[in-house]
Amino acid sequence: MSAAANRKPFDAGRAAYLALNIVLLAFLLAPIAIVIVFALNPTPFISFPPVGVSLRWFEKFFASSDFMNALWLSLWVAACVLVLSVVIGGACALALARGNLPGRTFLTAFFMSPLMLPAILTGLALFQSYLLAGIGRPIWGLIMAHTLIAVPYVLRTTLAVLHNFDHRIEEAAAALGASPARVFFEVTLPLIQPGVFAGGVFAFIVSFDQFPVSLFLVVPKSETLPVVLYNYMKFDLDGAIAAASMVSILLALSVVLAMERLIGLKAYVKL
Amino acid sequence: MISRRSMLRTGAIAAVATVGAPSILHAQTKTLKITTWGGKWGDIMKATVLPAFEKEFKCTVQADQAFPFMPKLQASPKNDPLYDVFHTNSNEQWSALTEGLVMAKITAKEVPNIADVYPYAVSDKIVGVTIFTSAIGLGYRTDKGIPVPKSWKDLADPKLAGQRGGYLIPVNSLGQCHLMMLGKVYGKGLQDLDAAYKALEQLKPIKLVDFTGQMEKMLLSGEVSEGVIHDSGVLRYEGANRQPVEFCSPTEGVMALEQVLNVTPGSKVKELAFSYIDYMLRPDVQKLLAEAVWYSPANKKVKLSEKYDARLLTTPEKVATLIQPDWKWYNARKDDIDARVTRILKG
Repeated sequence: MSAAANRKPFDAGRAAYLALNIVLLAFLLAPIAIVIVFALNPTPFISFPPVGVSLRWFEKFFASSDFMNALWLSLWVAACVLVLSVVIGGACALALARGNLPGRTFLTAFFMSPLMLPAILTGLALFQSYLLAGIGRPIWGLIMAHTLIAVPYVLRTTLAVLHNFDHRIEEAAAALGASPARVFFEVTLPLIQPGVFAGGVFAFIVSFDQFPVSLFLVVPKSETLPVVLYNYMKFDLDGAIAAASMVSILLALSVVLAMERLIGLKAYVKL
Repeated sequence: MISRRSMLRTGAIAAVATVGAPSILHAQTKTLKITTWGGKWGDIMKATVLPAFEKEFKCTVQADQAFPFMPKLQASPKNDPLYDVFHTNSNEQWSALTEGLVMAKITAKEVPNIADVYPYAVSDKIVGVTIFTSAIGLGYRTDKGIPVPKSWKDLADPKLAGQRGGYLIPVNSLGQCHLMMLGKVYGKGLQDLDAAYKALEQLKPIKLVDFTGQMEKMLLSGEVSEGVIHDSGVLRYEGANRQPVEFCSPTEGVMALEQVLNVTPGSKVKELAFSYIDYMLRPDVQKLLAEAVWYSPANKKVKLSEKYDARLLTTPEKVATLIQPDWKWYNARKDDIDARVTRILKG
């Protein structure tokens, strides 16, 4: 058979599909490429095209105690939020998915409601509530606020896993003599793990990047990275902002890669 | 000999003292809650100005640099406000006064250094007291072959189409000042809004930003050749950061961008708050901050170094070129103005 006969005919549909994917990828990745260019450009202002390559903005970012304190605080808050939202969101999802909970639909809507309210209003309302309660703006108040926003993500991903959950496996384990705790840790948890972990990744990233809620709840000298960046930008719009963005992107990427190593993203893709 | 009872008593007293000491100490150390700017200003405040104040007045200062200040103050109880000293530009002080969030006037009785400030710092256009001012004029590139501006009208030069910069007027007080100045230059005065709207039409196409910092960067990078800006936004770029950008004080006068301090009526530490304002008006503190960020000091006794003295508003003659807008009048019409300018500059 000749080579010409082996050649596949031009498939317009496949070509259009590929082109659309390339456009979508470019749309998603172009901002990151621009951030990299700005972060490496040595000029004291954000400009294009770049005039050289320099790490001065990364040096400024890592040498600034304001930025570093904010970065560590954001990471610490996000870690706390991850744990809390996984515990609360996972427990809520299990309770809701059992099917015999009174007011199940209402409760699901209630737990999802923080996503329906503009986050800036949630922040303002919490700020006012904290002040009226006389507790000021403690760090745990900020963690609770972030958790409020993050729980729906864990709830949604865990409910998705539980949708096709076969309860007979749990019943079989119980019938074979396993205690409720053992059934949960050895049967239920491994099965819902992908949904819970995926929700946890979302919770971490949502908290780490959280701006509107934090805006009202941070206190002087304990400000999260997005708030510090916003205020910095009002006075100094230089490459340090781009360097900080790069660090944030790399951190988010690290979390996703760590989760991939721990549970494998493919497990989540199956949802 | 130490009895078991006395040992227990001593131990109990020591334990109570250990547990209670921090709170007793905390109760003795007053905390002053203030708002302040970030950037270079914030760096100097945190590194030098505030620690020296804390040491002298044996207090702790909690300085909030996270915007937005006004909604946070509004949301906090009036009898226990989030801030004791409110630092903003003049327009926001007027909004705060309307809601009873700040004091109407501060006098030399409460703040003795007020006796030494220029009249503009406590004029009837000011709520609280001005500690510094900037001059709003025109910034321009010297390498783009454009004529050196002399008048506000020069911004309308057709050669600058797409190369001129302004602000989103609803959110930026420099933009609001510029609009009022257009009324004065093209009409009957600062309050001639019809003339201002007509003149604003003539400035299209114009690049708009919401932060002053963005305008600085647009001028520095050459993205615009001429734009509305305050003198500090141009003059502070020295040495390695110097670019071919200059500042022009138009012949019709410059608008005042005041840094205003005020005290909240519900503050629990009012005396300390007044002391802080007095401290900020001291000649040495004024000189330090003025030379760091190129702001014109409000205290007329301040002697700046030659290079700053040459460019900043440090004499009664130079101060006389300042035009102070009537923010009470402007704020009362702000919603209508915002809607109109948004329609004009849409797209």
